[in-house]
Amino acid sequence: MVTTQEKKTEEKWGMVIDVDKCIGCQACVVACQSENNIPVNEEEHFNQRRPIQWIRVERYWEGEFPDVKARFIPIMCQHCDNAPCEPVCPVFATYHNSQGLNVQVYNRCIGTRFCANNCPYHVRFFNFWEPSWPESLKNQLNPDVTVRSRGIMEKCTFCIQRIRRTERESGRDGNELKDGDRALNTACVNACPTDTLVFGDFNNPESRVSKLRKKEMDDHHGRGYKMLDELGTSPNVIYLKKVDKEAKESSTH
Amino acid sequence: MLPGDFQEPRITQRKVLLLGVIGLGGVSGLVVALALGLFVLSAWLGLPLDVFGFNEGPDQPIEFPHTVHVQELGLDCTFCHRTVTKDAAASIPAVGLCMTCHKTVGDGNPEVDKLRGYYESDRPIDWVRVHRVPDHVHFVHEAHIRFFSDKMGGDSETCSICHGDVGGMEKVNQVRSLKMSDCVDCHRNNDAPTDCTTCHY
Ligand code: SF4
Repeated sequence: MVTTQEKKTEEKWGMVIDVDKCIGCQACVVACQSENNIPVNEEEHFNQRRPIQWIRVERYWEGEFPDVKARFIPIMCQHCDNAPCEPVCPVFATYHNSQGLNVQVYNRCIGTRFCANNCPYHVRFFNFWEPSWPESLKNQLNPDVTVRSRGIMEKCTFCIQRIRRTERESGRDGNELKDGDRALNTACVNACPTDTLVFGDFNNPESRVSKLRKKEMDDHHGRGYKMLDELGTSPNVIYLKKVDKEAKESSTH
Repeated sequence: MLPGDFQEPRITQRKVLLLGVIGLGGVSGLVVALALGLFVLSAWLGLPLDVFGFNEGPDQPIEFPHTVHVQELGLDCTFCHRTVTKDAAASIPAVGLCMTCHKTVGDGNPEVDKLRGYYESDRPIDWVRVHRVPDHVHFVHEAHIRFFSDKMGGDSETCSICHGDVGGMEKVNQVRSLKMSDCVDCHRNNDAPTDCTTCHY
């Protein structure tokens, strides 16, 4: 709130995802569903290709039967600096804020679904139904997150409620935002058991994401890449390639 | 008389009655339409019009007079609304907090008896909410109080910017529309952020 004004430089939130570490456990998905009041997806929703998952873990098989390998890649909103979803919104319900977040304003959204059609990552989800939860889960809804009603587009927010809360609390207690603070990290980052996901501020050269970007986005040695980079969306999520000795050997031979 | 010639209609008693009924119906319809219009208009203004007691606050389960506690006893807002300077919600005091005084104070007052009833039967008081912003608005008391008490000094004066002079109200009512324009105007005047995600997320 007030604290964001007092800051000298604004943050630029981003994430680094080390695909090599991901074991496909789906803990991030569950954490996200419960943190962000996402309705429970049932079989029927998947059959209609209309489940809501702000983060999903895509699985790919590699190789023939005895030698198969499973590859996992967690995908969420890439918070593109040049987001294709933003210019098509007729009511400015999605826009880029000063902290580098691609924002979805629920109360402004009129549900044209243009943005979802324009998103190359398929990370925007439309509420085709009024959200509902089983009776036993009613009391686990997060009060800091709006429950989206039917007819509204939604997507990963980088857990902006956590960012706002830590900002406010740091203003109240007079301390700095700490990089890697569990209260600041998104729910998926906190849940990941293998440290695949790293969240932080790209504008702070001391943050872990900045250091990783510096090291890994190096053209010659780095493993870093951006998803569908050729589209020119300039995402704020950096992926680190799988380390695969065999693949390397076969390509050099 | 030729056929098709103008004939003066005969005024019968039945016709007079019919006309009277139609006229009365029209007038009452107009009144209803006006009342409806007034209702819609007042909703559009954000605050009920201050006529016919529209503007009055809701009836509470216990007629709690802020006047006695604030004006006569001089309690600070934060004495009861304890988390208001630390958290998003201002919080309603627990019955136990009221009972720290009312165990001994207020014998014979029927409202205090009601309070003791709640305390003895271990029930919370279901106060009727007066100020409510929609679900997609995340209002944080703490940040606002911090800002305004830095600017003006004193927590309790800060509260009255939005809540009016609650200390002088027998029955609390809303004094500001608390519509988005209300919030945004104030944010603009005070150089507060007006990014959508300041409140909507
Ligand atoms: S929690 Fe971590 S390891 Fe598990 S699927 Fe998600 S990113 Fe991969």
